[in-house]
Amino acid sequence: MNDFAAARGSRGVRASNQLRLVPFALAAALAAAPLAALADGTVTLGRTADADRYDPHRSSALAAAEVLQMIGDTLVTLSPDQKTVLPELAESWEMSEDGLTYTFHLKEGVTFCDGKPFTAADVVGTMDRWLAPDAPNVSTWRAGEVDEITAQDDLTVVYKLKVPSSNLLYQMANFNFIMIDPDQAEALGDNFGVTAFNGTGPFCLESWSPRDQVVLKRHDGYTWGAPELGNPGPAKVDTVIWKIIPEEATLVATIPAGEIDASYSVPSWALAQFEADPTVQLLRPEASFRTHYIGMKTSRPAMDDIKVRQAIAHAIDQDAMAEGLWFGVVNPTVSYFSDKVLDYPADTDTSAFTFDPGKTAELLTDAGYEKAADGFWQKDGTPLTLTYYGFNETLSRGMAEAVQGDLRKVGIQVDVENYDSTAIWGKLREDTYDLYEMSYPYLSAGDALNLYFHSGSIPSPNRMMWNDPETDKLMEAGNAAITPEARAAAFEALTRHVHEAVLWKPLVEETPVVAAGPRLEAFEPAGMSGAVFDSGLNLSLK
Amino acid sequence: MTDLPAGEIPAGSSSRTWRRMRRNPAMAIGVTVLTAVVFFALIGPMISPYDPYDTALRMRLKPPSAAHWLGTDSQGRDLATRLMYGARTTLMLGLAGVAFAALTGGAIGLLAAFYKRLDNPLMRLIDVLLSFPSILFGLSLAAMMGPGLHSLILAIGLSIMPGIARISRGAALSVMAQDFMDGGRVIGLPDVTLMRRYLLANAYAPILTYVTLAFGDAVLLAAALGFLGLGLQPPTAELGSIAAEGRSFLFIAPHVSFAASALIFLIVLPVNMLGDTLRDAADRRAS
Repeated sequence: MNDFAAARGSRGVRASNQLRLVPFALAAALAAAPLAALADGTVTLGRTADADRYDPHRSSALAAAEVLQMIGDTLVTLSPDQKTVLPELAESWEMSEDGLTYTFHLKEGVTFCDGKPFTAADVVGTMDRWLAPDAPNVSTWRAGEVDEITAQDDLTVVYKLKVPSSNLLYQMANFNFIMIDPDQAEALGDNFGVTAFNGTGPFCLESWSPRDQVVLKRHDGYTWGAPELGNPGPAKVDTVIWKIIPEEATLVATIPAGEIDASYSVPSWALAQFEADPTVQLLRPEASFRTHYIGMKTSRPAMDDIKVRQAIAHAIDQDAMAEGLWFGVVNPTVSYFSDKVLDYPADTDTSAFTFDPGKTAELLTDAGYEKAADGFWQKDGTPLTLTYYGFNETLSRGMAEAVQGDLRKVGIQVDVENYDSTAIWGKLREDTYDLYEMSYPYLSAGDALNLYFHSGSIPSPNRMMWNDPETDKLMEAGNAAITPEARAAAFEALTRHVHEAVLWKPLVEETPVVAAGPRLEAFEPAGMSGAVFDSGLNLSLK
Repeated sequence: MTDLPAGEIPAGSSSRTWRRMRRNPAMAIGVTVLTAVVFFALIGPMISPYDPYDTALRMRLKPPSAAHWLGTDSQGRDLATRLMYGARTTLMLGLAGVAFAALTGGAIGLLAAFYKRLDNPLMRLIDVLLSFPSILFGLSLAAMMGPGLHSLILAIGLSIMPGIARISRGAALSVMAQDFMDGGRVIGLPDVTLMRRYLLANAYAPILTYVTLAFGDAVLLAAALGFLGLGLQPPTAELGSIAAEGRSFLFIAPHVSFAASALIFLIVLPVNMLGDTLRDAADRRAS
């Protein structure tokens, strides 16, 4: 499952599992009712989940991000390799020498969908709304410790921080930084992003029927996209329809038939089949980062011993999982985040994370455990039995059983408890389990490290309960660094440090794969935060 | 009049019922299939060479072969062995659920019939319970109490209990109208003796018939809860959860869901046939 939302509130609203599952087995095939005939210039995108609302300040769901990226813009965006910050609504920017003040110069001639010009006042209004204290807003940590944000003139914004934030520009590419129409947000209140959304994006929100579809129409005057990402605007198709098809198997059937033009909510087994299907194109972003891992809670008895954590890490076979659970469409990994991200040091010691079950017995013996007559390890008469929390969804259940099976083979018993997505976030805040399963997207080493390892993030998302002054010190140094060199040095040192501590067992790195039908022109999917269709500017029909 | 031996009252009727049942072909089919399934569930695990918990991901979703007669599941485990253990779990859940329901529902029905002042409160409570569809009721209970063997048995039991309570009350009321019940009261037999030796002894036939049919419902409910992920936690094999697991891979490995669903069918069908035979025989007796 997904920690994109975990740390900060709501996930997308998935069509209820119960309703999706009720018709036993074969009903899936029958449910593939033909969708409405496709109009010219209309691209239909399929997905399995809808968002709770389309408000960049109140939703952390990926389902919200993928629509918001099309109907709104951020000040800056990232290059396809996720390493360079590019202009979007901001034409250029400067940082002061102390790293505390950023001055953004906005592009001229940008308008909202309703024709209103976009100005510095809108940036200030957007940020004020997002960062308002006590508002039910999410992901505000991305904005850094803001002192104040002011409009110097119509096209100049001054963004002042209390402490430097070396990651700020990268974070600003995230969909939470999408610029809204503050007057509309004020007028609509709780209905903002539900009944209407006035943005500056290449598309405008036409209508939303929750859990059915979102219809977007082309924003005709749009010309301010980043040319480095392909088409700067206007969009090449006049309508984009995001269609919800809760049943994965049904979604799979609609793609070769051309009823759905593209989707990336396609299960691994279907991707393996599509490889051999000439009517389906499989498209992958240049760089996109998401890692699945098993977290270990260091506050628990037994788990506080690094030898036990190493023993567990060596016993789990991530290669077999990549092949068996993901049908080979992901890459097994030995690091907490991809070695391709910004600030990952090549000399990180990942030897603790290889599959080597032979070492488990040695490590557990060193830690004072002995094998009981039943074949399970114990210490002073107490068996080494671990509690594992996972999600009650197909892939997560498979991972739970695979981990349980691998650890059983080396003599460690695991009690699995799978919870629905509504219950698990609360359960994960408790100190009642030893292992948990999670996945998360990230942009850079700094982004990944900030999310998880600071003592201030205990008990969630620092569910490892990793309370380490050295970690906190390095992280603060990395965040406050003013030069790229100082930032890299701190984050690289921290990356090595947390890997040596063996806090997770990394499993696989997943890259989203877009399955596109015969009508769509091939394009390069975007990598950031999993919203692969990005602005929609590169969608075009053959 | 003072001499009222319990044995004389229901004499003969049950043996006639039994004779009628034996002549019914549905009975023979039901008994044969059910015996085979129970044999598969109880003896199978002893003779299978595979461990139902031994995962081998690289062997996942293999079609039936000489080594694995029904193929392997999504974790590479032998599906036939998983189904043997799964059938055992599902049968046990159905049996425990229906036993719980029969005890509580039977007791409520008899008490309501025997004590007039309890009738209204108890039956209104049952009406409330009956107003929920049993699958929805079981789902909410299982979701509220969290996963686990006990909560699952309770959820199944409570979902089918109201029906049993109703039938028991009806059966008990018709016995209550008989003269010998008044007779027993008159001679001062204690309530417990009256209820056990006279009321229950004469009302059990329709209750038993209903309980047999309810067993089929209990098995289906157990499988449905497992299918919806509210059943026992992994790696416990359970037919509903095996069917659900296979459903994700229906297009590439239909054997997993198909085999599990077929086995559920092979449990529920003979149970229902047996229940129907029992009911037919009892109905004819009544007419």
